[in-house]
Amino acid sequence: MNPQSPQLKLQAGLAIGYRQALASASEDISLEKGTHFLIARNGRGKTTLLRTLARTLKQVAGSFEARGKIQYLPEDLRFDPEITVSGIFRAMLPAARLAAANDLAASLDLDVRKAYGKLSTGNRRKAHLIVAEQSIDPERGNILLLDEPFSGLDAYAREIFENIWSNGSGEVLRLVSCHPDYDSMGMPSALVIQGEGIRHTVGQHQTWSELKHQLN
Amino acid sequence: MRLYRLTTATLFRRKSWVICAFAVGVLPFLLQYISSGTENPSLLKPAIAQATWGMALLSAIFWGFFTAAKQGENNARSGIGEYFLTTGVSAGRQLFELWLSVTTFLAPLPLVAAGICILCTSPAQPDERAMWLATNIQYAVLFLLVMAPLVALAIAVASRFGGITGFLASASLAIYGLYGVGYLKLLANLESNSLLKWVWAGSPHYHFADPTERLRYKLGAIAWDKFPLLVAYFAGIMLVHAAISRLVFRARASA
Repeated sequence: MNPQSPQLKLQAGLAIGYRQALASASEDISLEKGTHFLIARNGRGKTTLLRTLARTLKQVAGSFEARGKIQYLPEDLRFDPEITVSGIFRAMLPAARLAAANDLAASLDLDVRKAYGKLSTGNRRKAHLIVAEQSIDPERGNILLLDEPFSGLDAYAREIFENIWSNGSGEVLRLVSCHPDYDSMGMPSALVIQGEGIRHTVGQHQTWSELKHQLN
Repeated sequence: MRLYRLTTATLFRRKSWVICAFAVGVLPFLLQYISSGTENPSLLKPAIAQATWGMALLSAIFWGFFTAAKQGENNARSGIGEYFLTTGVSAGRQLFELWLSVTTFLAPLPLVAAGICILCTSPAQPDERAMWLATNIQYAVLFLLVMAPLVALAIAVASRFGGITGFLASASLAIYGLYGVGYLKLLANLESNSLLKWVWAGSPHYHFADPTERLRYKLGAIAWDKFPLLVAYFAGIMLVHAAISRLVFRARASA
């Protein structure tokens, strides 16, 4: 295995929550480079799990290992309303990545001259995702923990990001929490929080349509 | 230094710093028209000097601490602090970068105030002029030593208890240290109360960093052999505030 490869290893018995366990892993789970979805019903611990893996929240019990540079993009992230998108890019990204960030913004119909506060929810989400994607360190493994990145995003923009994720080079592990809005969305690798258990399910042709029935 | 760049770009874009620049750089020259300086020209230069330093102090307290508190609260509640935390920027580092950014806008205030006093209100006599120069440089240094740690305190308190609390904590401490301790001493002497005297002794004596009385009455510079003691006194307070700020600061609001 490439020593630079990102990896997330959840040990059996890892319990997440705020003081009391909300959910726990019943078996060892190992996630490698690639895109993994995190699905659960509301309030079952998607954000709690992401925060735990990002180490901004202590697990209730058990342990996990994370190898790679972590970025956790909270769902409620917001920049100052006065600053423009290009101002955010200039502050947050290395100079060598600015052109790529602006190109991606143009392909997403995101006006970088606009003040952040004047953007719609979806366009703000695009700005966040561009910052996260362009902050990836090519020299090492990266772990991107994305909390509901698709909420408010139009289908066209979502498709662009999904293409970047499936075609992109680099050692990147993405764990994406979401509530898909179309049944045929492919989820070859998914972490499912079902009841109080966290489990990993894989399948080349696995779709949201099959997985959503397991959430009840 | 991404958080520093982001905060600095945000503050620059917000443009409220223009009010401070106007208050310190222009307003003292306009205020003379509503003062008795127009009737008695000998009062004009001291009045401008007093107004300039007064505006610098007011700008630091009302703009600087308010801005610091706002940034501290926003960082914790907007998810920005949490994002940076996950990328390896520790809470201490975040506090430092936020502080540095606000101080970048605050630091020019005493420099501009000293510059105006030296260039526009210097006395004609060479020995008085040398004293005037020394006084203004000394107070620019003391101004920064007093205000910079209070900026960190405003950021830290706001990150945990909210923007209004952060602003009030630093602003009230500054106002108490500048003006309140004088009244406390009077009270302690009148009442002969030893507890009040202890409180007075333990209070931050920021009035030592307020140059307006010295400039107005041309009392001269602080003796150079005593100035390092004053610097050490304020540096000690700075260390205490830095430690408290680090303990209080949080990069993300509690869940």
